[in-house]
Amino acid sequence: MNNLSIKNKLYIGFGSIVAIILLLLILAYNNFSRLTDANNWDKHTMEVLIELDRVNNASLQIQVDTRGYILTGNETFIASERENAEQLKQHIAKAVQLTADNAQQNERLKRAQALLATWADVNIRRQIEKRRALGDTKGAADTLGQSSELKEAAAIVSAARELMDQAGEEERRLLAERSAKSVELHSSQNNLMIGGGIAVVVLSVLIAYALARAILGPLSNLTAALSRLGGGDESARIEVTSGDELGKVSEDFNKMAVQLQAATRRELDLTNDLRRKVDALLVTVSGAANGDLTGKITVTGEDAIGQLGEGLQRMFDNLRQLLNNVQKAGIQVTTSATEIAASAKQQEATGVEQAQTSVEVLSTTKEISSNTSQLLKTMEDATAVADFTTNATSEAQGNLRRMDQTMQNMVNATDSINAKLAALSEKASNINSVLTTITKVADQTNILSLNAAIEAEKAGEAGRGFSVVATEIRRLADQTSVSTWDIEQMLKEMQSAVSASVMGMDKFSEEIRRSVGEVRQVTDQLSGVMDQVQKLAPQFDAVLQGMQAQAVGAQQISETMMQLNDATQQTVESLKATSEAVHQLQYAAGDLQSSVSTFAVNA
Amino acid sequence: MKVLVFHIGPDRYGLPLRQVRRVLPLLELKGIPLAPDSVAGLMNLHGAPTPVIDLSRISGGSPSRQHFDTRIVVADYTAPDGKVHALGLMAERVQGVHDVSTQELAPSGVQAAPFLGQVAGDAKGMVQLVEVNDLLPADLRARLFPAEVEAG
Repeated sequence: MNNLSIKNKLYIGFGSIVAIILLLLILAYNNFSRLTDANNWDKHTMEVLIELDRVNNASLQIQVDTRGYILTGNETFIASERENAEQLKQHIAKAVQLTADNAQQNERLKRAQALLATWADVNIRRQIEKRRALGDTKGAADTLGQSSELKEAAAIVSAARELMDQAGEEERRLLAERSAKSVELHSSQNNLMIGGGIAVVVLSVLIAYALARAILGPLSNLTAALSRLGGGDESARIEVTSGDELGKVSEDFNKMAVQLQAATRRELDLTNDLRRKVDALLVTVSGAANGDLTGKITVTGEDAIGQLGEGLQRMFDNLRQLLNNVQKAGIQVTTSATEIAASAKQQEATGVEQAQTSVEVLSTTKEISSNTSQLLKTMEDATAVADFTTNATSEAQGNLRRMDQTMQNMVNATDSINAKLAALSEKASNINSVLTTITKVADQTNILSLNAAIEAEKAGEAGRGFSVVATEIRRLADQTSVSTWDIEQMLKEMQSAVSASVMGMDKFSEEIRRSVGEVRQVTDQLSGVMDQVQKLAPQFDAVLQGMQAQAVGAQQISETMMQLNDATQQTVESLKATSEAVHQLQYAAGDLQSSVSTFAVNA
Repeated sequence: MKVLVFHIGPDRYGLPLRQVRRVLPLLELKGIPLAPDSVAGLMNLHGAPTPVIDLSRISGGSPSRQHFDTRIVVADYTAPDGKVHALGLMAERVQGVHDVSTQELAPSGVQAAPFLGQVAGDAKGMVQLVEVNDLLPADLRARLFPAEVEAG
C-alpha cells in the first residue's frame, strides 16, 4: 500500500466510493421502476371505473329524458336523445377497450355493451314511438307506464347495470390488491435508501481517512523539515517512509539540503577572499585619490575583482600617461599660445594692410566699371556696324545675282553670235564656189580669146578687127580674173576673220563661263559672309549682354569690396580680441601646468 | 610678127603664131611608161593621139607647175622630111599674143639649145623666140613619130 503512487491511491479510494454509490443507485432505480408500474396499474383501474360511472350516468340520463317525455309529451325532453345514446356507446366501447388485458372483465363488459346497445336503439325508441302515437290523449303517461315495453326496457337496463356493477367490484378488488403491493414496495424502497445511504457514508469516511493518512503523513514531515531549513537549520533531514512521489520529494529535499550546506560554506570562503582583495585595492585607490599614482595593484585573476584590479591598473597607467601628456601639452599650449599671440599681432598688421589694399582694389574696380561702360558703348556701335554690314552684304548678294543673270544672258548671246558666224562662214564658202566658177569662166574666156587671136592672125588682114575684139575679150577675162582673185583674197581674209571671230567668241564665252563660275563663287562666299555677319549680330548682342552683366558685376564687386573693407575692419577688431583671448589662454596654460605638477607620476 | 608669150622659169619666150594651131587648158594626160622625162604624156586631140612635151623640162628645168595659166599649146611640127605633125607643148604662164617687130629681133649670140632663136626686147624685158621644128632631138623625134619613118 505504501509503495503505490498518490495518483493510484486517489484513484482506488474515490473509485470504491463511486462503485458503492453506483450499486445503491441501481437498486433504487429498480425499486422506482417497480413503483411506477404499480402506479400505472392503479391509474388504469381508476380510468376503467370512471368510464363505467360515465356509462351509468349516460344510461340514467337517457332513462330520465324518456320518462320526462312519456309523462309530459314534450319533445324538448328527447331533443338530445341520440346524442346521449352515442355517448353511452362511446364510453362503453372505451371501457371494453381498456379492459382488453383482463379476459373476464372484458367478457362482462361486452355483454353489457350488447344489452345497452339493444336498449338504447330498440327499447327506448319503441317507447318514444308509442308515446308520440298516443299524443296528448288523457292518461297517456299512465298507459305507457303500464306498458310491457317499459318493463322490458327496465329489465334490460337492470341486467346491464348488474354486469357493470360486477365489473366495478372486480376493478375495485384489483385496485385494493395493487395498492397493498405498492405500499409494500414503498416501505422496501425507504429501507434501501436509508440503509444504503448509511453504508455509503461510512465507507466513504473510512476511505477518506485512509487516503489522508497515506498522503498527509509524509507531507507534514516535509513541511516540518522545510520550516526548519527556512529557520536556518541546514542539518534538517527527512525520514523516507514511502516510495511514492512524496518519498521522492523527500529524497530530493535531503540532497538539496546537503548541497545547500556545501554552497553556504563556499560562499563564506569567497566573501572572505573578496574582502581581502577589495581592502588591497582600496589602499592603492585611496593613495591615487591623494595624488599618488605610483601605487601598483597586486590583485589579479579571472574573476570580477581580478578584472577590476587589472582594469584599475590599466586606468592608473593610462592616467599616468595622460597626466604626462597633459603636462607636455600644457607646455606646448603655453608655447603655442605665445606663438599665436605673436601671429595674431602679425595678422593684425596684415589686416590693416589688407584694409588698405581693399581700398585700392575698390578704386580699381570703379575704374573697371567705367571702362566697362565705355566698352559697352563701343559694343553698341559695333552692333550697329554689324547690322549695316548685314544689309550691305545682302544688297551685294542681290547685285551679284543680277550680274549672274546678265552673264548668263551674255553666254546665250555669244552662242547666238557663234551660230551667226558659222552661217557667215558657210555663206563665204558658197561665194568661194561661185568665185571658182567665175575663175573657170574667165580662164575659158582667156583661152577662147587666145585662140580667137590666133585664128584672127591666121585670117590675116580680114581678121584684124576680130583680133582687136579678141584682145579686148582677153583683157576683160584678165580683169575678171584679177577681180575674182581680189574677191577671193578678200573672201579668204573674211573667212580667216570669221574664224578668228569664232575662236575669239569661243574664248570669250569660255571667259564668261569662268566669270559666271567666279561670280557664283563670290555669291556663295558673300552668302557665307552674310551668314557669318548675321550670326555676328546675336553674338554682338550676347557680348553686349555680357558687357552689361559685367558692368553690373563690377558694380557688385565694388559693393562687395566695400563690405570686404568693413569685414576687414571687423577682422582687425576680432584679431585684437583674439590677442586678448590668447593672453588669457597663456595664463590658463600656466595654471594647468601648476595643477598637473601636484600629481606624482614617476615611480 | 605675132608671138604667143610664155615662161620657162622666170624668163619669157615666144612661139610664132603661124606655127600655133590653138591653145588648150591643162588637160588630163595619159602617162607613157619608159618615155624620156621631157615627154609629159599623151593627149587626145579630136580622136588623134598627140604627144605632149614639157617645155620647162626639155630646156633642162624642173617640170612645169600646174598653175591656172599653165596651158597646152598645140603647135605644127614640121619634120625634116616635110611632114607636119600636131605636137602638144606644156607651157607655164601663157600670157597672150605679143607683137614683136622684126627690126628688134637680134641673134642671142649664145648657142645653148638648138631650138632657141632670136631675142627681142621690150618694156618688160627680153623675149627669146622658140623654133618648134628644132625642138625635138633626132632620137626623141624617132621615138615620137616612128610611123612616118616607116610610112615614108
